Amino acid sequence: MEAYPVKGRLVLAAAAVGALAVAGCSSSSSSSTSSSASGSASAATKSCVASVGFEGPITGPVASLGAEQLHFAELAVSMDNAANHTQITLVQGDTQLQPAQATTVTQQFISNSAILAVVGPAGSQEVEAVGGPMGRAGMAFISGSATAVALTTGSYPTFFRVVSKDSVQGPQDANYIVNNLHPKALMIVDDQEAYSTGLVSAMLPIFQAAGIKVDHESVSQKVTDFSSLVAKITPDESVVVLPWQIAANAQQFGRDMAQEHKTAVIFGTDGLFSPGTFTISGSYVSSFGPDITAIPADASIAQAAQAKYGSFGTFGPPVFAATHVIDEAIASVCKAGQTPSRANVLAAIKQTNESTSILGQPISFDSHGDLNGGKFFLFKISSAGKYQLIPS
Amino acid sequence: MSFFFQELVNGITTGALYSLVALGFSMVYGVLKLLNFAHGDLYMVGAYVGFFVIQFFGGAAHVRIPVPLLLAIMFLLAAGLVGGLGVAMERFAYRPLRDAPRIAPLITAIGISFFLESSALLLFGAQFRVYNTAEFISLSSGIQIGSVTIDSVQIMVLVLGLVLMTGLQLLVKRTRLGRQMRAVAADREAAEMLGINVNFVIASTFFLGSALAGIAGVMGGLLFNQVTATIGFIAGLKAFTAAVVGGIGSIPGAMLGGLVIGVAESFVTGYISSTYTNLIVFGLLIVVMLVRPSGLLGQVQLQKV
Repeated sequence: MEAYPVKGRLVLAAAAVGALAVAGCSSSSSSSTSSSASGSASAATKSCVASVGFEGPITGPVASLGAEQLHFAELAVSMDNAANHTQITLVQGDTQLQPAQATTVTQQFISNSAILAVVGPAGSQEVEAVGGPMGRAGMAFISGSATAVALTTGSYPTFFRVVSKDSVQGPQDANYIVNNLHPKALMIVDDQEAYSTGLVSAMLPIFQAAGIKVDHESVSQKVTDFSSLVAKITPDESVVVLPWQIAANAQQFGRDMAQEHKTAVIFGTDGLFSPGTFTISGSYVSSFGPDITAIPADASIAQAAQAKYGSFGTFGPPVFAATHVIDEAIASVCKAGQTPSRANVLAAIKQTNESTSILGQPISFDSHGDLNGGKFFLFKISSAGKYQLIPS
Repeated sequence: MSFFFQELVNGITTGALYSLVALGFSMVYGVLKLLNFAHGDLYMVGAYVGFFVIQFFGGAAHVRIPVPLLLAIMFLLAAGLVGGLGVAMERFAYRPLRDAPRIAPLITAIGISFFLESSALLLFGAQFRVYNTAEFISLSSGIQIGSVTIDSVQIMVLVLGLVLMTGLQLLVKRTRLGRQMRAVAADREAAEMLGINVNFVIASTFFLGSALAGIAGVMGGLLFNQVTATIGFIAGLKAFTAAVVGGIGSIPGAMLGGLVIGVAESFVTGYISSTYTNLIVFGLLIVVMLVRPSGLLGQVQLQKV
């Protein structure tokens, strides 16, 4: 409940100490500077004005995820402004999960000098499209959901993410299935998007090495009728892996299975974490984000989000974390007596070292923008539709 | 063999939905030579109407009225409201452009499609709305023949689809309005000179076609459970394809086209792979169009409405 305000105060204190240190190490004019930076920190932050871009699929087929991300970004800005006395505004950009649209939005953000950093975009394919322009503009951007391995190999120097990557999730999930669910055969269905096919590629070698017979299928995210596909599930196929982004589709898949008396266990990823939507009993869901409603320290944020926006899944909290990193970077720059710019905000983000976060883990980045110590969380859905965390 | 029949049932059920939406496409094209790309979005509106009726009567888990009555209200209200929306579309967006170059109403149709989709997004939000059909219609209440399962929702879709398609065919062939529709489709100016109220006939055509799309939306909601602002796009695309394959302007053609696509999708998914469903099905359709450019029933039994 109190973690967030406490964290805010810790960051404030750290920034003040940092500002003092900077002032102490400066030239002969340091006296007035230090006095200004430390003695009137609140005055400095009161005039701390900046804009942060938000890139997400606000409309389009995954608009439900984008709306959740936007809500949590707005919530983070609101809470951080209150805690840090900043005047950060969020500028929305709708990417529709389309790389071309993300590029257009990015160009608009880059040409808007008030925007100092960007939250998003959501999809790995979008990050690949905008990584170059963002880098050339010196604009930091932090994604709360892009997990492709290739994004953090050094090609995009201003990119960061607060979630782990597919090379961790795919093998982790596949090994869990092999070692704990022991299928002789399984069906794996990608949704024809880079996120999904990337995870499938990471899982398949492990299934094949374990001697499991795999039926690899593929359906568009726009498909809502799975009856024909479900009819193909054989009695030997005791697991169906759905690395999908749309929970409602998986719910329908589960209903079609029940209707055709199929008893295979569904194993889904990230997008399926949606307690209000995907409730097929006995299913598993691995997620890059935790269930923050089960983290006592996040209670105030979870309650605020539920009160303002209703139920949510795991796509919002990482965006909250990403936005918070940017907000704190801007605040720290202001508290150091500087005018926030893309360059100093980028530098501050690189120095991020949060001992705790909404995600229940510390946040700091390696030299390529990856989250240090990133992990995935595995849940099993109970007969009451509750998501129960499986200890790692 | 049971697998074959299961896929056949699945395919016919999906195909019946495609057919119902395709009928509206085909009817409007028949009388106005207009490809109404907003037609799929009427399916979406119908699905939302059904969803909100369920909510109004207590929600899926706590329906306060008998289920048959609930279903009747869902279908009737969707038909009425979506039919009315179709008439409004025709009156305010298409009628002023009736004598404009054909590209103008086509662009308008695309604009209306985006308008409806965006309006639904703003009004109802981006989240998926879920019918939760299983809460008030048991999945086990259906027919089990060997290992082939036909649940009650599938039966309802098949029966209602058949009744509606037959009824529409009778209306067009046996009633005064149907004859007027065919006359307007054949030659609008001549029909007007014969004293036929062309505006009324066109509005009636829009009402009927849109009402069928609204009913199909409710059926889709009951079958597939989920509703979002974007579901009309794929429904419209499939229906348009069905109408063209069957022979656009032909009512039996729209029915046949929908069933052909539904069954083909089902069998390709079942016997080959879902990965190649669109590739193979639409590849076959290209072949059909190459062999019979006016569609499967376009030449043999062309019937304009």
